[in-house]
Amino acid sequence: MTDTAAGTTAGTTRGRSGSRRRVMAMTRRNILVQARNPGHWFLLLVLPVVDGLLFGSIGVAFGEGEAPVRLLMTGVMLFHLIWQVTLAGSLGLLEEVWSRNLMNLIATPLSEREFLGALGVVGLLRTVVSVSVIALIGAGFYAVSPDSAGWALVPGAAILLVFGWAITLFVIGLTLQYGDSAEVFSWGTLVLLMPLSGVFYPVESLPAVLQPIAEAIPLTRVFEAVQQGLTTGEVAWGELALAAVGTAVTLVAAIWFVDRQLRRFRRLGWVTRFT
Amino acid sequence: MREPVGPSGPNGIGPTETPTTPSAGSTRRDGRDGEADLVLSARGLRKSFESKEAVAGIDLRIHPGERVGIVGPNGAGKTTTLLMLLGAIAPDAGSVELVGQALPERRAAAMAEVGFAAGYIPLPERMTVAETLDLFATLYGVEDPPAAAAGVLEELGITHLAPQRCESLSSGQGTLVGFAKAVIHRPRLIVLDEPTASLDPDVAMRVRDRLEVMNREHNATLLLTSHDMREVERLTTRVVFLRAGRIIADGPAAEVVARAGYSDLETMFLAEAARLRGEEV
Repeated sequence: MTDTAAGTTAGTTRGRSGSRRRVMAMTRRNILVQARNPGHWFLLLVLPVVDGLLFGSIGVAFGEGEAPVRLLMTGVMLFHLIWQVTLAGSLGLLEEVWSRNLMNLIATPLSEREFLGALGVVGLLRTVVSVSVIALIGAGFYAVSPDSAGWALVPGAAILLVFGWAITLFVIGLTLQYGDSAEVFSWGTLVLLMPLSGVFYPVESLPAVLQPIAEAIPLTRVFEAVQQGLTTGEVAWGELALAAVGTAVTLVAAIWFVDRQLRRFRRLGWVTRFT
Repeated sequence: MREPVGPSGPNGIGPTETPTTPSAGSTRRDGRDGEADLVLSARGLRKSFESKEAVAGIDLRIHPGERVGIVGPNGAGKTTTLLMLLGAIAPDAGSVELVGQALPERRAAAMAEVGFAAGYIPLPERMTVAETLDLFATLYGVEDPPAAAAGVLEELGITHLAPQRCESLSSGQGTLVGFAKAVIHRPRLIVLDEPTASLDPDVAMRVRDRLEVMNREHNATLLLTSHDMREVERLTTRVVFLRAGRIIADGPAAEVVARAGYSDLETMFLAEAARLRGEEV
């Protein structure tokens, strides 16, 4: 270490520049940690390949014409979009829990927003990789263009990203309380939502008792809009608007929940569970 | 039978006058003498978990360059106090100012001037030592993290560990790297919880030597907890003795021990631990 005047911190960066550097540093940490964990490669690359081949082949085997395979490939591509965002966020926190690194991070200037910001960046990167893999499989093996649903995909994907983040915040809030026991929520929450949100079929295909629940889930509106885009080529703005409102409400609830959990984390001394 | 350590007050060994460094300054009209110079100021800290009171009203003021040891038997409230001082646990009552920054509002600014390491907290997995130090230097706001990492590793004589993954380090190596992490940004306040726990004597000595150098040459303030009373006596200039979440003695170790009628800090600690177990001392 080089000598500095007593009582001062050696050459430091402050303010926005410091905040941006902290987000980038945590993003790099998450990428390094995930790249060195074989389990993450499985979720990031192997599972999209499996899902792409599975749903593409089911579409070819049981459908007539191009429509079924387009519907299934677009559905699985969008599902991975939201799933990877959620995985990045929730597994990012769990990695810190597993390696008992939370207290090390708490004792730095890193803020909760910066921590979450880094997880958001990693989530976007994971989404790009995973969705690209499925898009390549669709285009290469099943002649399905990733933009088959037309312009509905753009707002639809944006809403899915935000909804994915809302789910992530809920899972992070639960992880703060339950530690690694909350791992199941990191991948299980969206698995629960998948059959209910009409990713691969119209909501009318569900048992009647489940249809009202499905209709209340914002994801359902997005997938309905995408399915309309696939069949008519038009953007179902009404469905997308409902999805956007539902997602905004979910996000507000998620922010409230994670803020409450962070307060409880400090008030109830939950940090001692992670040291 | 030894005289037990009494409660604070005229008949006990209540907190002695906080020793001040030359920079501790003058007495102010508001009674907050030298407040502006304080590295740490805690007032009326209280914390209960469910119905159990862990910290029952702690006032603590630490001046630049002081070396303070918080000691007490298990359950005395050391770790809870430390975590409140770091902003990791919110107190039920009271306030904390670190390096002049009020918690929790100014936590980020405060933590940029504080280094923390605990013997029982491992380093993050799946990263090399160099990557870990680079990460924490960046989080602390150091301008040139790789240079700072190389510098601190060289000072501690562990440059060879730089390319190793943290999970492959021995316990002693991990503690040294954890210490490097805590001081890489030249903090004004170094907070250490059990800094040499389960270390070989030679490695523990290197950590203690380094702390003394940082304190002497850079006026770094030390705040540590330890169950090794000899380490506390050697490293600190002031001991804060806790019992049941309260400060029962505060002052230089020799003074605290003498007032309580013991020969050394370890004997005093053992007597307190026995008292907690309900044994006669």
